[in-house]
Amino acid sequence: MNDTYILGIETSCDETSVSIVKNGVSEIATVVLSQMDTHAKFGGVVPEIASRMHIESITQVLEECLNKASMTMDDIDAIAVTYAPGLIGCLLVGVTFASTLSYIYNKPLVPVHHIIGHIYANNLKNRLEFPLISLVVSGGHTELVYMDKDYSFKKIGGTLDDAVGEAYDKVARVIGVSYPGGPKVDYLAHIGKDTYELPIPLDDDTYNFSFSGIKSAVINLVHNEEQRGNEIRKEDLASSFQNRVIEILVKKTMKAVKEYNVNNIIIAGGVSANLGLRERLTKECDNNNINLLIPDIKYCTDNAAMIASAGYYAYKLGIITDIDLKARPNFSMY
Amino acid sequence: MKYLFIDTSNSFINIYIVKDKEVLNKKHYQTLKDMANSIMPLIRESFNEVDFKVNDIDKIFVTVGPGSFTGVRVGITVAKTISWSLNIPVYPISTLEYLACVDTKYNKIISIIDARRENVFTGYYDSNLNKIKNEELVSIDSIKKNEDTILVSYDGVYDSAVIDTNIIKLINKHLNDKSVNPHELVPNYLKKTEAEEKIND
Repeated sequence: MNDTYILGIETSCDETSVSIVKNGVSEIATVVLSQMDTHAKFGGVVPEIASRMHIESITQVLEECLNKASMTMDDIDAIAVTYAPGLIGCLLVGVTFASTLSYIYNKPLVPVHHIIGHIYANNLKNRLEFPLISLVVSGGHTELVYMDKDYSFKKIGGTLDDAVGEAYDKVARVIGVSYPGGPKVDYLAHIGKDTYELPIPLDDDTYNFSFSGIKSAVINLVHNEEQRGNEIRKEDLASSFQNRVIEILVKKTMKAVKEYNVNNIIIAGGVSANLGLRERLTKECDNNNINLLIPDIKYCTDNAAMIASAGYYAYKLGIITDIDLKARPNFSMY
Repeated sequence: MKYLFIDTSNSFINIYIVKDKEVLNKKHYQTLKDMANSIMPLIRESFNEVDFKVNDIDKIFVTVGPGSFTGVRVGITVAKTISWSLNIPVYPISTLEYLACVDTKYNKIISIIDARRENVFTGYYDSNLNKIKNEELVSIDSIKKNEDTILVSYDGVYDSAVIDTNIIKLINKHLNDKSVNPHELVPNYLKKTEAEEKIND
């Protein structure tokens, strides 16, 4: 069987990335240009600046990736690009770039949903085994997804309000931790003690999540302590918050595993880099003899390798589009 | 010699395929929301209607702004990608000069592009497209006009609209320009982002 090389392109937020992946599993070369330092000055991603930075670097990132792989565009079988969801101005650069390449080189164009990309970040470590439950956790998503085969996604539950990453960012802000807050809260949680009383978020029989309650509880606690003139123990508050959040994420994931009778769990999305979550889920899976797949840290943030991996399976299933591909900033994958 | 000219700086996609001194194919398509997903099908259609391919193009010209931030990025992404992929020289053209390129009996041309909040980007040119004054972002009220001046804009709300552009004249003027490295082809926004303006205050 001939090998299939997919060129992946990712520009949905603040990383400009191009990657080449062989047969959906082997990363040949990846280039990621992160804009994080620029946006940090503004306390968060500024969409217009992000779009400007993508267009400044996109052809260079591709050239660097091809050089790294010692390949040319002629070696590529199909071009996979993130078309949804994300910042519209950013998505447009990647989609226009990919459509132009598709036309010039006469290569099939494969549209990839960003979250499906995050799910397939796991596939770059080990080939996914089905059926599986995927815990999708990021700044915009918190969902449990059941997959019985490649490219089949059944959402069994999701957040009713804030995404888990969003709650982390807000907690980071209220305890005075700078952007990007999530990893810093995770770090503080590791040196702190779980001493603050906080509610467990939506501890019910469904697969749904709710993080606005615990977020408000943290905000109120900080304000009350400030009014009383008490100092907040940041580390302890981070630890208490993180423990409650992870407890419910792990509890509902394990419940899904039992009810759907699966033996495989994967984690996807930016919050899969959270060390507390990784440790707790690893322990739980070890105790229950469940196969757990976690992406390498470098694949947890946005990258084009995961887009190329997902793009391979989409391509094999014939999910190909014309060069009139439209960017869909709010499009759901389900 | 064969040329491709692309302008997406406003709510139009303008594509010209030129051979020597003749416009072989011209597309003028109005769109605001669908610019990014319409441009490549339109370029494909243009080349399907002439008897050569995009690979046969000798030079690419693209308007780089000022104008709609997103619009300008669409045209530039296409132009820099074609230039880089096929190793075709690319030439940035000011959108204000593109607008000013009309056949007119007037001696002075002021091109105007809406920059929102009662502001406009302006370019001042003589009838040979020589720049009289640097491009700038000004309040709409500050524009002074006399009898030998024509005001040109995309939508014709002033004296003339861009539909009458003399693209051959514009290309000829830039035929001996130095091309830019496609990696370095970027928009000329003529305006900082709001976030940058705020942080500098």
